[in-house]
Amino acid sequence: MDKFDVIVVGGGHAGVEAAHAVSRAGMVCALITFDKTKIGQMSCNPAIGGLGKSHIVREIDAMGGIMPLATDMSGIQYRTLNTRKGDAVQALRVQCDRKLYKEAIQKIIKQTDIYLIEAEVTDLIIDKSFVKGVIANGKEVKAKKTILTTGTFLNGLMYTGSEVTKGGRVGDDSAIPLSKKLYDLKLPMGRLKTGTPARITMSSLNLSVMEEQPGEKPTPFMSLTNQAQEHQKQMPCYITRTNKNTHKIISENTHLSAMYSGNISGIGPRYCPSIEDKVFKFSSKDSHQIFIEPEGIGIDLIYPNGISTSLPKKAQQEFIRSIEGMENAEITEYGYAVEYDFIDPRTNKKTLETTFLKDFYLAGQINGTTGYEEAAAQGLVAGINATLSIQNKDPFILNRDEAYIGVLIDDLTTHGITEPYRMFTSRAEHRLLLSQNNAEQRLLTKAYNLNLIKKERYQNYLKREEAYKNFVKNTLEKTKIKTFLNKNNDTVTLEEKRSLYSILTRPDVEENKLIKIQEDEKVFFKRASVEIKYKGYIDKQLREINKNKKQNNKKIPSSIDYKNISGLSNEVVEKLTQSNPETIGSAAKIEGVTPAAINLILINIKKLELQKINA
Amino acid sequence: MSVVFALATPPAKSAICVFRVSGHGCLDKIKQITGCELKRARTFYLRSFLDAGGGVIDNVGVVFFKGPNSYTGEDSFEVYAHGSLGVMSLIVDVFKGLGFDEAPPGEFTKRAFLNNKISLNEAEAVVDIIDSSSRESVYLSSKSLSGTFTDLVVGFSKKIDFLRMGVEGEIDFSDEGEDFLDGALVGGLKKIVVDFSLFVDGCVNKKHYSSKNKVLFVGPVNSGKSSVFNRLLGFERALVSSVAGTTRDLVESELFYSDASFSLLDSAGIRETDDLIESRGISIALEQIEGADVVVGIFDSFDKNVLNKFSKLTKGKKYLTVYNKLDLGPPNQEVFDCLVSAKTGEGFGELKNKLASFFKVFDRSDYSFLVRDRHISLFNSSLKCLKDALLKIEEGGGLELVAEDLRLARGFLDEVVGVKTSDSLLGDIFSNFCIGK
Ligand SMILES: Cc1cc2nc3c(=O)[nH]c(=O)nc-3n(C[C@H](O)[C@H](O)[C@H](O)COP(=O)(O)OP(=O)(O)OC[C@H]3O[C@@H](n4cnc5c(N)ncnc54)[C@H](O)[C@@H]3O)c2cc1C
Ligand SMILES: Nc1nc2c(ncn2[C@@H]2O[C@H](COP(=O)(O)OP(=O)(O)OP(=O)(O)O)[C@@H](O)[C@H]2O)c(=O)[nH]1
Ligand SMILES: [Mg+2]
Repeated sequence: MDKFDVIVVGGGHAGVEAAHAVSRAGMVCALITFDKTKIGQMSCNPAIGGLGKSHIVREIDAMGGIMPLATDMSGIQYRTLNTRKGDAVQALRVQCDRKLYKEAIQKIIKQTDIYLIEAEVTDLIIDKSFVKGVIANGKEVKAKKTILTTGTFLNGLMYTGSEVTKGGRVGDDSAIPLSKKLYDLKLPMGRLKTGTPARITMSSLNLSVMEEQPGEKPTPFMSLTNQAQEHQKQMPCYITRTNKNTHKIISENTHLSAMYSGNISGIGPRYCPSIEDKVFKFSSKDSHQIFIEPEGIGIDLIYPNGISTSLPKKAQQEFIRSIEGMENAEITEYGYAVEYDFIDPRTNKKTLETTFLKDFYLAGQINGTTGYEEAAAQGLVAGINATLSIQNKDPFILNRDEAYIGVLIDDLTTHGITEPYRMFTSRAEHRLLLSQNNAEQRLLTKAYNLNLIKKERYQNYLKREEAYKNFVKNTLEKTKIKTFLNKNNDTVTLEEKRSLYSILTRPDVEENKLIKIQEDEKVFFKRASVEIKYKGYIDKQLREINKNKKQNNKKIPSSIDYKNISGLSNEVVEKLTQSNPETIGSAAKIEGVTPAAINLILINIKKLELQKINA
Repeated sequence: MSVVFALATPPAKSAICVFRVSGHGCLDKIKQITGCELKRARTFYLRSFLDAGGGVIDNVGVVFFKGPNSYTGEDSFEVYAHGSLGVMSLIVDVFKGLGFDEAPPGEFTKRAFLNNKISLNEAEAVVDIIDSSSRESVYLSSKSLSGTFTDLVVGFSKKIDFLRMGVEGEIDFSDEGEDFLDGALVGGLKKIVVDFSLFVDGCVNKKHYSSKNKVLFVGPVNSGKSSVFNRLLGFERALVSSVAGTTRDLVESELFYSDASFSLLDSAGIRETDDLIESRGISIALEQIEGADVVVGIFDSFDKNVLNKFSKLTKGKKYLTVYNKLDLGPPNQEVFDCLVSAKTGEGFGELKNKLASFFKVFDRSDYSFLVRDRHISLFNSSLKCLKDALLKIEEGGGLELVAEDLRLARGFLDEVVGVKTSDSLLGDIFSNFCIGK
């Protein structure tokens, strides 16, 4: 093959999702990565989903992506979080078998016509400002578009105490020449860091003293497409806690931690602190929770979630053995912190194409994010847009009110990052619109129009939507009753008969005892009751969205110079200049930008347009 | 763009007032407002203006314009109503009820520009308006609603942020084994609702006085303050008599002149007195100096000591010295800013001009009134959301809905205290709670 449509560099979560999206849309794609056997490798904790993240995975699912499929092919414990809260903030978290997950991804990739190339990419082929391909193991590989998804590998350095090893992940290389190349291009780059805990053999633990946390029954699925498929054997997780003695050991050794000794300049995520951080910053707490998560079926290994560390090996062993149930813990691999390069994502467009080089896209941890789901979502967006660009079609951009993926991309490209970026539901101001359960309603039509899903799936979906509408009309609106049970199990008698629909709007009604619903309509009933509960809020949000839609979508020309807009404060000028927002909507989201400032920008855009016409 | 409205005439009592409404879809609402359809554009129709319940608020004139043939280039209409403050506020309520937004300063002209209705030069003028308005609104808000106004609003928004931190923490980190709410949500929320209600009520009361430019008349007894006051108003508002010490309470009335609206305050003449009621009146007058925008001293003779005493009392305020009773002869020193006779009306044109000139900054448009009114309506919306949040908790509604109400409540304060991004909210959570595995 002398020329591909798209080259994807990196076989991590961003890379595989990008390559698969490209190939789904019928393009010829090459996936170049260090080590074929590590494609789809989970570098850190073997779990997919969780708050804000399962939302993303379901969106990927609706776009025909592969992460949700691999999750179900390898899931060993499923749990829905926030069950006592409403639908929009519930999230599915799946513990996966690390090995099975990787195998699942590799299996899915093999079923496509993606070219796998095992090589190190050391350079880009640049012609003027266009990227024409890459140099892999010294050879040129050319393509119309190149997507870089190198994760934590760019100049990756791993720290354990005072030991420093080159690599983006334990047992892997570090991409040093490529990092150097990017620095030579004078791109806006920085260092970030993250950490991981030690791995311990399961057989060395005394699980009987720990709290067992079983998975959910009946076991749900992450992907909505293959509900009939069987689950892997399910396994429980366990919970134990650190104690005063643990904290004492950690405190005594904190000065030896790589993170504290001043070796690391990168910024770490505040929501993923190391155990030495937790003990230091929250010294009033004398115990922290640890989840003992199995690494897989028949694998004698656990991942102790909650004690990520870069302490020296001896101290790690000592504090781990001070924890209840871990007194004889056998450590197979010690915890470490990893520091790596990222590129300021504000230099990307919302398509994830960079503004400094054309035909060149960045996706995944290289953009300053952390997490498999965030990486996969970006891979998907970059893959789709690279394809669309080759086809000369309009770019694919999701709005903040359409998807968490839209929130993710907008946050990254307009606000940039100050620490490794992870998704949380509170980042989405339209959270109530974006449930993990309505991703298909939000995205499936788009996916179908982009050729990302099969016709059959789309038709089934349309049929289901039709059936749902009928259910609401024929069952909920037409059935009228006079009495119902409230949440205290008391009978409430109404003055006159009311429809089930209107009774469901009441906060006191006990939904589960309202009527007998047939098994196959239970999903519909649940969906309807959620939609009814949210209706008032959603109407409000939709009004807000529509009110400013035209204005928010208005493009800000790149030629705008905020310094020349009289009336904007220096602080606002600086922020706008740095963020370089693409649209008025994005600009309005920047801290400190007032409605008056937005008006000034609008007037100036118009002024620029007029000057163009007159010139 | 959304439908916006604004009072095009000054927000003072006057013969008529004019409201402008502009934006896509606004014409569909005329029927709701007037009870019938209007056929022809650019034609003056006499109709009843109805409130949400169909009751008649006022008989008004209505003219509509079909875009692009309108000032803004959008569909728009104008309502000519009687100029009482009561009618104005009821009309504002109806518009808001229809989902119209109060236009920020310069909005109509901005739209006109964006729709190619006016030239760049004119648009640059709008930039100035927006520019000055933002400066002015800061000035106005900090001035009109007491010096600590902004501090207070910032205080409330911080309290809301604190609750949001707990609620969002509880949602996003529910499996962290932290107690984010610590049982304090309901109590905290109730306290904010009570405190905030008091604050908003206070704003509304203050607005009554502070929305106009306050002009206070002071001077020695019997100098003719009440006479000048009445002459300016054009009718006998204050009692006039030859007995010194006639005016004892504060007498207030509105005056509208040359684009500006004033609230005139006549006060008790100042002298040493044993009369308890009168001395109370004097102290009220002195207190009023504090809240006045302009102080006008009325004198009927030149006495260096008296003049000095008054200029001391008014230290820091804009101050105008007026010599009255010109008909009896001019003062023996030319030190007064203005010479008038309340009896003949001589010199009043100049007096009015001088007064208006003090308010140059305000005279451009409606926002000295509206900015404040906007604030109050933002506060009320915010308060409503806080109450909704409380209700949701009591009903056992989902925490995500409580969170939404709190988000909205905080959003309404953005315009006063600035946006709180989700990232800084998360930052608060991370620094206050031990999160992360
Ligand atoms: C130690 C550690 C701890 C982590 N902790 C957490 C955590 O606590 N929570 C969390 O959410 N996330 C964590 N992560 C992050 C998570 O693993 C990543 O966010 C996610 O894997 C990023 O996906 P990616 O596709 O961007 O990159 P990666 O999964 O890192 O994949 C990069 C791929 O690119 C390949 N590659 C790189 N350079 C080259 C080159 N020059 N030539 C050829 N191939 C190349 C690599 O071989 C690899 O296959 C951690 C990661 C590490 C390493
Ligand atoms: N000739 C003449 N007499 C005036 C003029 N203005 C007021 N007077 C008279 O002066 C007397 C006092 O007038 P007021 O207006 O009551 O004076 P005041 O300053 O309000 O007095 P106090 O309220 O008692 O302090 C009355 O008898 C008026 O008729 C004027 O311009 N010319
Ligand atoms: Mg008087």
